Amino acid sequence: MDSSVLVLMLSVSLFLGAIGVAGFMWAIKTGQFDDKEKFLNATKFDSEEDLNDAAKKESKKYRPPD
Amino acid sequence: MPTKKECSHCHLEFDAGISEEAEGEELSFCCSGCQSVYHILKDNSLGSFYDRLGGAKLSAPKQNFIDSSTFDSKAFYDKYVSQNGDISEVSLIIEGIHCSACVWLNEKALSQMEGVIEAELNFTNNKAYIAWDDSTLKLSAIIEMIRSIGYDAFAYDSKTHEESSSRERKSYYLKMALAIFAMMNTMWIAIAQYAGYFSGMEQSHKDILNFAEFVLATPVLFYSGWVFFRGAYFGLKRGVLSMDLLVAAGATLVYLYSIYIAINQKGEAYFDSVTMIITFILIGKFLEVLSKKSVGDALDLLLRDVPSEIKVLQNGEVVLKSLEEVAVGESYIISAGEKAYLDARVISGEGSFDESSLSGESRSVAKSVGSEIVSGTVSIDANVTCEVLREFKHSTLSVIAKLLEGAMRKKPRIERLANELSSYFASVVLTLFVLTFAWWIIGGAGFDRSFMVAVSVLIIACPCALALATPVATLVGLSNATKNAILFKEASSLEAMAKTDVVVLDKTGTITKGAPSVASKQLLGDVSLLHALASLSKHPISKAIAKYVEGEKLAFDEYKEVASKGIYAKKDGVIHLGGSAKLLREYGVEVSFKSCSSLFFYASGGELRAIFELEDEIKEDAKEFVQSAKEMGLRVVLLSGDEEAITAKVAHAVGLSEYYAQASPQDKLEFVRSLHSEGKKVVMVGDGINDTLALAGAEISIAMGSGSDIALEAGDVVLLDGSMRSLESAFRISKETYRLIKQNIAISLVYNSITIPLAMMGYIIPLVAALSMSLSSLLVVGNSLRRRERG
Repeated sequence: MDSSVLVLMLSVSLFLGAIGVAGFMWAIKTGQFDDKEKFLNATKFDSEEDLNDAAKKESKKYRPPD
Repeated sequence: MPTKKECSHCHLEFDAGISEEAEGEELSFCCSGCQSVYHILKDNSLGSFYDRLGGAKLSAPKQNFIDSSTFDSKAFYDKYVSQNGDISEVSLIIEGIHCSACVWLNEKALSQMEGVIEAELNFTNNKAYIAWDDSTLKLSAIIEMIRSIGYDAFAYDSKTHEESSSRERKSYYLKMALAIFAMMNTMWIAIAQYAGYFSGMEQSHKDILNFAEFVLATPVLFYSGWVFFRGAYFGLKRGVLSMDLLVAAGATLVYLYSIYIAINQKGEAYFDSVTMIITFILIGKFLEVLSKKSVGDALDLLLRDVPSEIKVLQNGEVVLKSLEEVAVGESYIISAGEKAYLDARVISGEGSFDESSLSGESRSVAKSVGSEIVSGTVSIDANVTCEVLREFKHSTLSVIAKLLEGAMRKKPRIERLANELSSYFASVVLTLFVLTFAWWIIGGAGFDRSFMVAVSVLIIACPCALALATPVATLVGLSNATKNAILFKEASSLEAMAKTDVVVLDKTGTITKGAPSVASKQLLGDVSLLHALASLSKHPISKAIAKYVEGEKLAFDEYKEVASKGIYAKKDGVIHLGGSAKLLREYGVEVSFKSCSSLFFYASGGELRAIFELEDEIKEDAKEFVQSAKEMGLRVVLLSGDEEAITAKVAHAVGLSEYYAQASPQDKLEFVRSLHSEGKKVVMVGDGINDTLALAGAEISIAMGSGSDIALEAGDVVLLDGSMRSLESAFRISKETYRLIKQNIAISLVYNSITIPLAMMGYIIPLVAALSMSLSSLLVVGNSLRRRERG
């Protein structure tokens, strides 16, 4: 087996996996899992009106989400 | 019988209420509170709340609030509001959240307000974060808004212990996410390496695999493993060789050794061991921090409804005065339904008070001119004026709050077995590591060989199994407890509880059911209307009677409740009386029956019809619990705020010889402390506000699920169903868990004592050491899982 195949496979799979972990860690950090009830009920609040409200709320915020 | 209607706002069913028509719809409300909330929502285009609500039911909105202007006071701002330029921030707890629609409503209503910048409400813990512009909007207006839509809010200090522990938990999640990801990927690579070890592999392939493992292991060691370095550092600072030091030193040495091997292209690298050690022990550590209790919340609950101003009579006029400023001797007015915040003596008026916060007894106590009222007690129906006896900061309520704070901060801890052992273990292993290395070097084996042998000692002795022994066993214990409706707030309580030797039981609500029920009766005539009569009152005794006597609910022509005496009702010209002997005598019915229990008399048409004796019933299994607790070698003590005779009766009924009556909250704490000074470890079981101090002072405190909020907050363990059987199970599970922990520790120590000498003699290469390390961990986990209850 050629070494380059091994390098390619390892680097690509680890890179893809790292993106996933980074995304997950970002979500934990920004508190997206803090409120499990709200998280589970989120599908009830995705009508057009709700999304507009959410956008309005976001623009009102003075601070960037940490 | 009137037909039941459903309230348009809260969806609860009611008999009689308010009806109105609006926009062609017929609306009905159970109370004016619901009605006003409904209109406010409709007027503010928040009506879609009801669509979102679906079939869910709300509770009827509160209508009596503390004055919202207290939220604008400087004292409040200093304590709870943080100001950042124009922007003010506050954390509130919202009361009355039932469903996601409630969350939606609060967030929407608040963010619609002019001046509110951000309003976030957490559904799981009902905590809200609000940021607003203080120059355009006052905090009181925000509170008014929350109240007007049917909820209530009170402040909490967001800088409490709880916040920091949730931050700590979050940092563990992050560290574990990375560590688990890296460990699983390293394992795949390690499979290739092990296969190559046995069947041969080109050095160039090996280099690639080593490099990939190095990339994965580095962040695990330095990011996820940071807690161990920190722990080791703080341990060394205190002069203790901690388990953290062993983990940090072991992992770092293996890591450095592997880099050395990889660069020199000879031998095997063990990056996989590094990630595995860190990940396993990190998970074990996480299980320990998973549930940590907060000190602040119980205090918040005790003092949360203290208003900043109270009603004081000055020159014949009622004025509001700040609680701190009220001096001794001033006239303080307490109205029905209010809580007393100052210790005082009644100078006019009379009525009954709920003193359960002092004695734990739910029955009401009559107060008249000259009686003392203690702060923290609640007026049931009394409107009294009284003379203040002590300033607020010396009042019973403040004293209890201060004692509670002290007791919670100085809560005695029971040292954990694994922690006791770990420092010995760590020092022994580190010494062996150095000795082995020195021995082989002196023996002339060369640096490479000597270092490899020494590292294999370290890997073999890696305290994975020891570190997992406690967390895995407690996890199994916790899951068994949950299946038995027992909630252990802190995992370490499970182990600690098994080491206690005295159980102190409260009486009312703990051994007894806490509500009166009929013990004996004497029927002297027709009682067909008694059920209807008793159902009119919400007094615990009337409720017990209504439950005991069957019958139909009927409407009476005339009805009134006589404060702390009973019920008077009239139907078809006949007077019906139910209550104490005093009430009956007032209406000319002669009663001579006497007893030490509570009595309820029923008379109609001027004739005595029935006598009921009521007692607080002892819980089933209370006797069995006392029996089995004694068999477990525990000393059982009954500690009650009730009278001597009643306490003695209950103690004898459950087979207890040691009991103390008329204990105040402070007495209970003193009692627990006196046990401590005898060197005893104490479990306190209680349910009331009066038990809170003792709960906070005991090593392990158990609260009944039906108990007061503060007791639940102060308890380490909560028995959700409040039964004596679960109390017994809690002891059984904790003993089992402790036994399991001891077994696990024994397994890992025996394992180490066999393999460490082999490793020191150089018979075990690091590869085998790494494999056998996993094996010992598996043994410990397997042994623990054996104990899991099905269900």
